[in-house]
Amino acid sequence: MQRLFKRTVFTTLGLFLATVAVAQDRPKVVTVNYPLQYFAERLLGDAGDVEFPVPDDVDPSFWRPSIADISMIQSADLILLNGASFATWVDRVTLPRSRLVNTSAAIEDQFIVTESITHSHGDGGEHSHEGVASYLWLDPTLAIAQAEAIADAITARELASADDVAIRLEELRADLEAMDQTAQSAFSDTRDVALIATHPRYQYLARRYGLSITSLEWDAGAAPTPEQLAELSSIAERTGAQVLIWEAEPPATAIEALRGLGMESVIFPTLAHKPSAGTYLDTYQKAVSDLSQASLGANN
Amino acid sequence: MIRAVGLATLLAAAPLAAAAHSLVVFASVDCDAVTVEAKFSNGKVAQKGEVRVLDGENSLLTTLQLESDGTVHIPLSSVDHSQGLVIEVDTGGHDNYWIVTPEDIARKCGS
Repeated sequence: MQRLFKRTVFTTLGLFLATVAVAQDRPKVVTVNYPLQYFAERLLGDAGDVEFPVPDDVDPSFWRPSIADISMIQSADLILLNGASFATWVDRVTLPRSRLVNTSAAIEDQFIVTESITHSHGDGGEHSHEGVASYLWLDPTLAIAQAEAIADAITARELASADDVAIRLEELRADLEAMDQTAQSAFSDTRDVALIATHPRYQYLARRYGLSITSLEWDAGAAPTPEQLAELSSIAERTGAQVLIWEAEPPATAIEALRGLGMESVIFPTLAHKPSAGTYLDTYQKAVSDLSQASLGANN
Repeated sequence: MIRAVGLATLLAAAPLAAAAHSLVVFASVDCDAVTVEAKFSNGKVAQKGEVRVLDGENSLLTTLQLESDGTVHIPLSSVDHSQGLVIEVDTGGHDNYWIVTPEDIARKCGS
């Protein structure tokens, strides 16, 4: 009996120590947004941990990390950047160059240059949308390029088996291509429909699917002011738009106010953060479906 | 030299990342001091500005003024840098920051 007890204790202890050792050896990958986290998790599988350290209520484009955040990021085996001017904090810290990967380096020739508009809102203070449109992953073909860059980085650093990563990349690529096909089909009859977005986030989505989107500068999910509603009404009259795209669920009063202008509201999460339910893939597909249906309704 | 290359790289990237006339802040560390440099993204030196030095809890440790060449030296012996330092530069119209971690300092001190 005593021997059995000892054997059980030693076995349990051995398993515990093995688990701790494995946990300590697991590679750590840090990303600057949720889509990159999603791609890295799909590609790494159980071979490592992927962290996206930006709090849910902060725009990851303009996050200001703490010293502790940067210490954690500096210790990562791989730091995945979005490029395209996304995540301004990366230019304000020292990061280990050998572990940095710009996932959009190969697609810079496909970047969309945007106008300069400086304004202030939220946690990040005054900022500008000048330069380059950042939300690359809203075009699945660009997302595939980013996923390929991540796969290459994981393989080059031997963070996971090259064969496993290659298989997972093919699966992820197939999912993204299917997502693109779904969107192509959904938007096939909406190319002439004028749309308005509350924030300039959808440039790559619009280009990929031939959408005509005019952007405002509203805070995500906030109720519009009377001045903003007047501006919206003016743009809607000029463009004929009857659909307004929100990044996040707006207040009920905002939806009512829009109905008063004859406009319908559609939520299309930008996915810079992980959605409260679902993943990058299914949230994107639902948003595409919602937007195409609203656009078709406006077209009839 | 490394500092110059780092600041040049930042300045080159700045027009893509921020407003046309933004402030670019860079801080380098050696074992004795943190050297802060501030320039505008158009290449002009920030000749005046307040430099706030904060610790890991965002508590203000000290406030200094930029020199006319856009730099300021913060002796490490003058501040508690055990939790790292956040360097904020405010020129009045523009502001920006740089984060120095305890690991950045330790690396430069060869420990």
